[in-house]
Amino acid sequence: MSEQKLQSQTVQTTGHAWDGDLQEYNNPLPTWWVYTFYVTVVFAIVYWIIYPSWPMGKGWIGGLSTITYVNSEGETRTHSWNTRALLLEDLNRASAEQKPYFDKVSAMSYEQIARDPEMNGFILSSGKALFADNCAPCHQAGGQGKVGFFPNLTDDDWLYGGSYDKINETLMHGRRGYMPAFGEVLDGAQIDQLANYVASLSGMRHDSAKAAAGNALFHSETAACFYCHGPDAKGRRDIGAPNLTDSVWLWANVPGAEDDDGKIAAIRGVIAGGLAKGVMPAWAGRLSPEQIKVLTVYVHELGGGQ
Amino acid sequence: MAVTTYSGAEQYNFDIVKKFAVMALVWAVFGMFAGVWIASELAWPFLNFDSAYFSFGRFRPVHTTSVIFGFGGSALFATSYYVVQRTCQTRLISDGMASFTFWGWMAIIVLANLSYVMGYSQGREYAEMEWPIDILIEIVWVTYLILFVGTIMRRKQPHIYVANWFYLAFILATALLHTFNNLAMPVDLFSMKSYSLFAGTQDAMTQWWYGHNAVGFFLTAAFLGMMYYFVPKQAGRPIYSYRLSIVHFWALGFMYMWVGGHHLHWTALPDWTSSLAAAFSILLLMPSWGGMINGIMTLSGAWDKLRTDPVMRFMIVALSFYGMSTFEGPMMSLKEVNALSHYTDWTVGHVHSGALGWVAMISFGSLYHMMPKLWDTKIYSQKLVEWHFWLATIGIVLYIVAMWISGITQGLMWRAFDEFGNLKFSFAESVAAMMPFYAMRAIGGMFFLTGAAMMAFNMFMTIRQGKREAAALEAKLAAKLAHA
Repeated sequence: MSEQKLQSQTVQTTGHAWDGDLQEYNNPLPTWWVYTFYVTVVFAIVYWIIYPSWPMGKGWIGGLSTITYVNSEGETRTHSWNTRALLLEDLNRASAEQKPYFDKVSAMSYEQIARDPEMNGFILSSGKALFADNCAPCHQAGGQGKVGFFPNLTDDDWLYGGSYDKINETLMHGRRGYMPAFGEVLDGAQIDQLANYVASLSGMRHDSAKAAAGNALFHSETAACFYCHGPDAKGRRDIGAPNLTDSVWLWANVPGAEDDDGKIAAIRGVIAGGLAKGVMPAWAGRLSPEQIKVLTVYVHELGGGQ
Repeated sequence: MAVTTYSGAEQYNFDIVKKFAVMALVWAVFGMFAGVWIASELAWPFLNFDSAYFSFGRFRPVHTTSVIFGFGGSALFATSYYVVQRTCQTRLISDGMASFTFWGWMAIIVLANLSYVMGYSQGREYAEMEWPIDILIEIVWVTYLILFVGTIMRRKQPHIYVANWFYLAFILATALLHTFNNLAMPVDLFSMKSYSLFAGTQDAMTQWWYGHNAVGFFLTAAFLGMMYYFVPKQAGRPIYSYRLSIVHFWALGFMYMWVGGHHLHWTALPDWTSSLAAAFSILLLMPSWGGMINGIMTLSGAWDKLRTDPVMRFMIVALSFYGMSTFEGPMMSLKEVNALSHYTDWTVGHVHSGALGWVAMISFGSLYHMMPKLWDTKIYSQKLVEWHFWLATIGIVLYIVAMWISGITQGLMWRAFDEFGNLKFSFAESVAAMMPFYAMRAIGGMFFLTGAAMMAFNMFMTIRQGKREAAALEAKLAAKLAHA
């Protein structure tokens, strides 16, 4: 610590010293600092005058700024500035922009909407937002689904039908896929035979002797697979029983299996365990009929709508 | 003028300071590693290995607790015990109590981290510890308070040095904040789970009254205390203005308590509460800057030290980041700015410009000053200090820039409407857009972590060197005594 340096300063220290050489000058507050602080004080006061600020009794001082908005009942109200009204304003503005299009959606048929270029633009925009917010959590961002969990919406394989009406029905009322657990009525060998038969339907590698036995079992009253999947194993859309011959897999994770044995094992798992998880929620009541109509066209356009 | 020697080992309890200083570095490396890990998880999600234990949600509080309370807390315990003893010229009133705060605090950090990984959390930011750990914190903290106040009361100096006001404000406010934020009812005596005494918006307000004042008193006032001792010491110059230190101390303490509501703009919080908080945040700007001015102006007349002394550079860069983030904070607390920044990475960047730029840098500078003195030696490698400085500074800049870009991008994407009045982007699209910035942020963090690891190594070697020199000196003395 050089004493000369200290003495050369015109400002004095406070005269205290700690821990040897620790001292303090007694410089005045920097002028710019003081005045900037005053500016912030003025800012705060103005802010409090404009916006709701201090609590007062059971209420609060509302401030000079007001906001006029249309509430959910359609009434015009004026209130001191508040963030809820701002949100409502934003939402109202967006729905005012959407309204002419939604009006057209309810007036037009699916086919008309799909053919109209302007409406197509609206479907892509609105459908994308609706799909991302409501459908993508299960069916994934692009609608590709997830094997073992959620159906792919981009292929032309439809469990319940791919027409506009059927897609709309699925969206409105939801679906509940069910298959009994055959592990309770068939033994391991029989399930293995059935799995080999199902594999043979898609041209996968299989044990032909087992597949032949499986074929018989499939069409017998013992297993009675054909009740739901049909004698030709091509499924029944009225009850959502999948087509077993098209190499499209939803429940059995065949594409994810490492080898042929794994693929057969995946099929065996579904036959033995059955299914009770194929639940699609009903969207009627949660989305408006127009929104569901938009989604119907959007999903129809995702892949091979029928 | 009373003069004390640096090796006042008998006069002062330096053992406790050494313990906390070493653990500050251990927690720094561990906590920053956890930070780099979770930052990398966001960029490359496979890093959570599909295991609940490694998931972001459980590891994030491990990171925040380890850096704030592990690293920051240990650095504060170490420096406050060092500063209070030296500036009061008296020993801590009780070695046993000091030791209890050390083992208690370490147990708290370890238990908290274990409990998070196992899935226990109160879900209150920066106060995730469940009730049994909260009680332990309460006991340790009150012990700390008694120890600190007791030592000040036994001082041999007529005046209390400014650093001690800041430390004391930090200890008092933290006790208050911790107590009220953690008022909760355990589900039963043998359950870790508890429910908060407050409900809904009031609970959120309590949480952010705590949260922002944890920033204000734990991460600001306390580290200003550190600054007020170590900057003039390292510069070898008196503090610029005693008057400024008084005014900004009281202004800071008064303003901070009001501003927590700005974390809850555009929520169910009443509008008057949030605009009150916003205005107080603007009022807080100059009181915050008072500390920066006092620190930087202390160096005026010795600017050449910035060229020659890397330790000084840590401190000045810390003050610069302090000034920058205390300017950014009030801006973000205005509702219109907040509408864009809220819930985005901008907030994360803001926190880190304070946490890395200010808190960590001032701690590094102070520890570089203090640790060689504790072991009565010189820093093992000045070159490593230089490297640490540049790695840390570049790391911070990478981090903040990445978060600014990604935060503003998120904010703009979330509010974008198309010509049909529909949201233009889905949330998942905004997540995908973040990828390059998450990678950049993780790399910035790696720079910072590498610097901290270098420091830990450097200080380890410094301690070894100090011990060797002490042993050699003792041997010499013994030899002399034998001859005589």
